[in-house]
Amino acid sequence: MFCVNCGVKLADTEKKCPLCGIEVYHPDLAQPEARPLYPKNNSPKPKPNSKALGGVVIILFLIPMLVTLLADLHNDLSLDWFGYVAGGIIVAYVALALPMWFRKPNPVIFLPCSFAAATVYLLYINLASGGTWFMSFAFPVMGALTLIFSATVALFKYVGRGKLYILGGTFIALGGVSLLIEFLLTLTFEIAFKGWSIYPLATLFLLGGLLIYLGINRSAREMMERKLFL
Amino acid sequence: MPKKKSKDLRWLRLDNAAKIYPAARRKNWSNVFRQSVTLCDEVDVAVLQSALEVTVRRFPSIAARLRRGAFWYYLQQVDCAPQVREEKSYPLVFMSREEMRRCAFRVIAYHDRIAVEFFHSLTDGTGALIFLKTLTAEYLEQKYGIRVPCEYGVLDRREEPLPEELEDSFLKYAGKVAASRKDTTAWHMSGERLPDGALALTCFSTSAKDALDLAHRYKVSLTVFLSAVLMKALLELQTQKVPSVKKRKPIKLLIPVNLRALFPSKTLRNFAMFTIPKLDPRLGEYTFEEICKIIQHKMGAEVTPKHMSQIIAANVGDEKNPLLRIVPLPIKNAVMKAVFDTVGERKSCLSFSNLGAAELPNAMKEYVRRIDFILGVQAAAPYNCGAISYGDTLYINFIRNIEEPELERHFFAVLQDMGLTVTVQSNN
Repeated sequence: MFCVNCGVKLADTEKKCPLCGIEVYHPDLAQPEARPLYPKNNSPKPKPNSKALGGVVIILFLIPMLVTLLADLHNDLSLDWFGYVAGGIIVAYVALALPMWFRKPNPVIFLPCSFAAATVYLLYINLASGGTWFMSFAFPVMGALTLIFSATVALFKYVGRGKLYILGGTFIALGGVSLLIEFLLTLTFEIAFKGWSIYPLATLFLLGGLLIYLGINRSAREMMERKLFL
Repeated sequence: MPKKKSKDLRWLRLDNAAKIYPAARRKNWSNVFRQSVTLCDEVDVAVLQSALEVTVRRFPSIAARLRRGAFWYYLQQVDCAPQVREEKSYPLVFMSREEMRRCAFRVIAYHDRIAVEFFHSLTDGTGALIFLKTLTAEYLEQKYGIRVPCEYGVLDRREEPLPEELEDSFLKYAGKVAASRKDTTAWHMSGERLPDGALALTCFSTSAKDALDLAHRYKVSLTVFLSAVLMKALLELQTQKVPSVKKRKPIKLLIPVNLRALFPSKTLRNFAMFTIPKLDPRLGEYTFEEICKIIQHKMGAEVTPKHMSQIIAANVGDEKNPLLRIVPLPIKNAVMKAVFDTVGERKSCLSFSNLGAAELPNAMKEYVRRIDFILGVQAAAPYNCGAISYGDTLYINFIRNIEEPELERHFFAVLQDMGLTVTVQSNN
């Protein structure tokens, strides 16, 4: 049979033209049957098993937990070291390893989860060490950061346009957080308000403003692209 | 057969050409090529395995594995034949370092086809074809009880390997004066890679007699004719891809030359060199006759014992350099790889290796219906092309690691213009 497009003679093994990709089909002609030249399998090696990899990661995470547990038990039978180490490892696991279990981890779900885990860990530290800073400092700061980053990631993922505006807004909001941090520090730990937060605030505001300006001004954006591409 | 102890196994230094290949190897690429015979009946894998056991003993330099010394790699004869594999996928699947350390060649059976894939450090196309013919002869003798005379490249499996088959002929035939390696950089094709390092094969087959008649019409050999067709196709592909004439780069084709035809060598190891004809599209349009003439004269000037001995001298000179010799292997590898990347492959668009007309003893002819020769792709360039003819059929195998068969399309268009009927096959 000949290809109707490019005219090359096709061997019986070919179901479509190897040169131009046209399918060989004619209702009145019987398609000759022939064995393909090679088996149709383009991955000669089996894919690595992600479940097995996940298991290995869990074991790696468990090792430091077990070591501190043993050290604690050996020392004085109280679980003071172990709690901190275990909490930190759980936070690291939630943030880094847990998304790997999914084929396409959705950052809009996993990022707030990681922040929530970190917040709970801070609560634990606060309680275990007898502190009083969680409700007045750690919780509002973590809450603000969670909101800002989750909103950024969600907008990036679901809006897809106006990335410079989103990023600019994030920078400005983070500037606000620096002010919040200083304010809450002053309240919680009763230290004098020095106003250091004005420096990160100004920097982040300027960067955010620049990004938004680039978003608005197309020629400036193109100039930056030309000068700074990698 | 009882396994031989390690100290009884032969070991060999890599020959001069073979030294570059282990160093140039990278994560997804190693220099491997394939030759296959297609029989008239289904292959009996058990018989093939038994034939392989017999054949490997005759070829200690080819049935070998690649091992590391402190200063150089070396080849060590395998202590027993590797298992015959079944064909699972595309040809020339990547050969890893671990695999080469176990055995640097593969024997693959697929229905009626026996294929052998060789790492290029073991041997060149000519040596590989002798191995394949001998293996096939042994297989046919065991399977059908026929008697195959030892002629046309079929060796006697009961003989001991001869010393002259294991020699590094480059050292023997190096000239006294080294040639300069200075050369211009060639145009490089590119395209979207196939996923997972897969390779796509396009095989053109045509009547060898018709192709030869056509070549004779232009008063050139078949190799020159096919090279000219390929260069014409490359010119047209570049015209399509690079509209600005000023930006076009030279079209250069690397044509391997079998040095056994120029020097009285019987080696089964690498003994090939190459010649690289060049067309510069910035100088204007080339007619087909002009291209033929350029290739023919380039080959006439360079495919001579004198010129080749000069090029061999340059390569052997590097190998003999005392400074390079005392450098430990990992550093040497890095240096050789850098040289290979900057000099070796940039000088041509792709290779076109024509093994010529394969001859078999009469007793084998009725059992073998087809012979193929497939090169692996180059490290940097996405294509390569190998040709061989058997009986009245010429098989031209293009291999590529990119999606679009653009070069094949142009190659076919040139042949079509000349009125040569070709049949196409692929692995997709």
